[in-house]
Amino acid sequence: MQHFWDHPLSWGTGGIFVAGAVGVLAFVLLFVTYAIYFERKVIGWMQFRRGPNRTGPLGLLQSVADVAKLLLKEDTIPAKADRGLFILAPVLAFVPSFAVLAFIPYSSHLQFADLNIGFLYYIALSGVTTIAIVIAGWASNNKYALLGGMRSAAQMISYEVPLVISVVGCVMWAGSLNLRDIVAAQSGYFWHWNFLPQIVGFAVFVIAAISELNRTPFDLPEAESELVAGYHVEYSGFRFAFFMLTEYVYVYAIASLTTLLFLGGWNPPIPQLDFIPGIIWFFLKFAVIVFCLFWIRATLPRLRVDQLMGLAWKVLLPLAILNIFITAAYIQLWGMGG
Amino acid sequence: MLSFNIQFTGEFIAFFALAVCAIVGAVLALNFTKVVHMTLSLAFTFVSLAGLFVLLGAEFVAFVQVLLYVGAITILMIFGIMMTKHQGEGQEPSRPLRETLAAIGCVCLLLILIYAIRDAKFPGDAAPLPQDTTREIGKLLFTQMAIPFELVSVLLTVAFIGAVALAKREEDPQ
Repeated sequence: MQHFWDHPLSWGTGGIFVAGAVGVLAFVLLFVTYAIYFERKVIGWMQFRRGPNRTGPLGLLQSVADVAKLLLKEDTIPAKADRGLFILAPVLAFVPSFAVLAFIPYSSHLQFADLNIGFLYYIALSGVTTIAIVIAGWASNNKYALLGGMRSAAQMISYEVPLVISVVGCVMWAGSLNLRDIVAAQSGYFWHWNFLPQIVGFAVFVIAAISELNRTPFDLPEAESELVAGYHVEYSGFRFAFFMLTEYVYVYAIASLTTLLFLGGWNPPIPQLDFIPGIIWFFLKFAVIVFCLFWIRATLPRLRVDQLMGLAWKVLLPLAILNIFITAAYIQLWGMGG
Repeated sequence: MLSFNIQFTGEFIAFFALAVCAIVGAVLALNFTKVVHMTLSLAFTFVSLAGLFVLLGAEFVAFVQVLLYVGAITILMIFGIMMTKHQGEGQEPSRPLRETLAAIGCVCLLLILIYAIRDAKFPGDAAPLPQDTTREIGKLLFTQMAIPFELVSVLLTVAFIGAVALAKREEDPQ
């Protein structure tokens, strides 16, 4: 980074950066395609259905066919919509979701940007997507879309607070905001991973994260039984595909973040297993979390609107603050952590 | 005084792009007539300013800037949508005399600022930037700056309680 800063921008360094970005984009698109396939399969099995099984062997090409259908669809813009913002909103939603991926360390060697502030970067950028969702709702000039956009704003701002505060415990434990240092602080056996010492923080983090992702049981912004489809009612074709893509890229980001903050990142569960490369451990834990997200979606019904805000402010926030005090007392009394 | 000495490093290009973005956002925020467009261009300015902070090596300030202002802009946008009339949005009648005077005032201010900036002497060398600025900010907040920090948090708490009290009073039926 520093060497890119101080020297004139050459074609070589620029090319390396572009190649890195294209590589991540290709990998994320692959992830999203098969995450959607597995989501439909897993939910299907949990509900005694088969899930997609017609397109290609075992239905493996189902997502590809769906994306092709979306790209070929007619692109409609409502006559009374605010044209400029209607076009801008999907882009504004997707760009931060992709930029967020720059800071994730996959193993001790593979990382794009080593930021000292790690986690704050995710929270800051994911907020920009909220603006995009409000704009999408407003620009559609549709009651349901506007309601969906407003619900989304209220929900994401409320749940950001416990999400940030629940991580403070991990940061205190490691003595750093840098994700690499937080992972290094969790090395050793699996009971050194943060999810056991920080069990309260872990629970608050997972609940707040599902809510930030707008997934069931917190998918009120797009509650189809109340709001038709929420903020993207008027969107079709590839603009709608961008909103879907954004949602799944955030699933990727949150799953990576949970792995790094609470499940020890690339550390093996017992140190004797460290001949297996760290990146395999990272993606194993990542896959478990993605599966749990699908599992929760298949199992739990949607919350009521009035219960949603109460849960964030009256339950999660006090628990997260309590977690900070307990962690601080523990570090002070037993001299553990950072 | 008017000597320019510019090297086209990555830093210079990034600074130039971000500065132009910040100014364009601010000008558009004044020129748009719809409240959602205005708040969005404000957000654009704030993000560009955050980029300038990153350029100065103040990553923590930059991302806290984005984190706070993104929430603020979203809330502002929602209040703007809920509390303004959408039919009455149109062109204001133009006032040529006032606009001319305002333009002259702005140009004078610009000239004074340029003069002051070009003429300023920065005494001494700045201390070298610490590797981990976040840690340094944290240390300062809890040692040297503890009292101002606590005062600001008391002020915020007062504002918070005041807002709750105002909202509660409006809820009463009488």
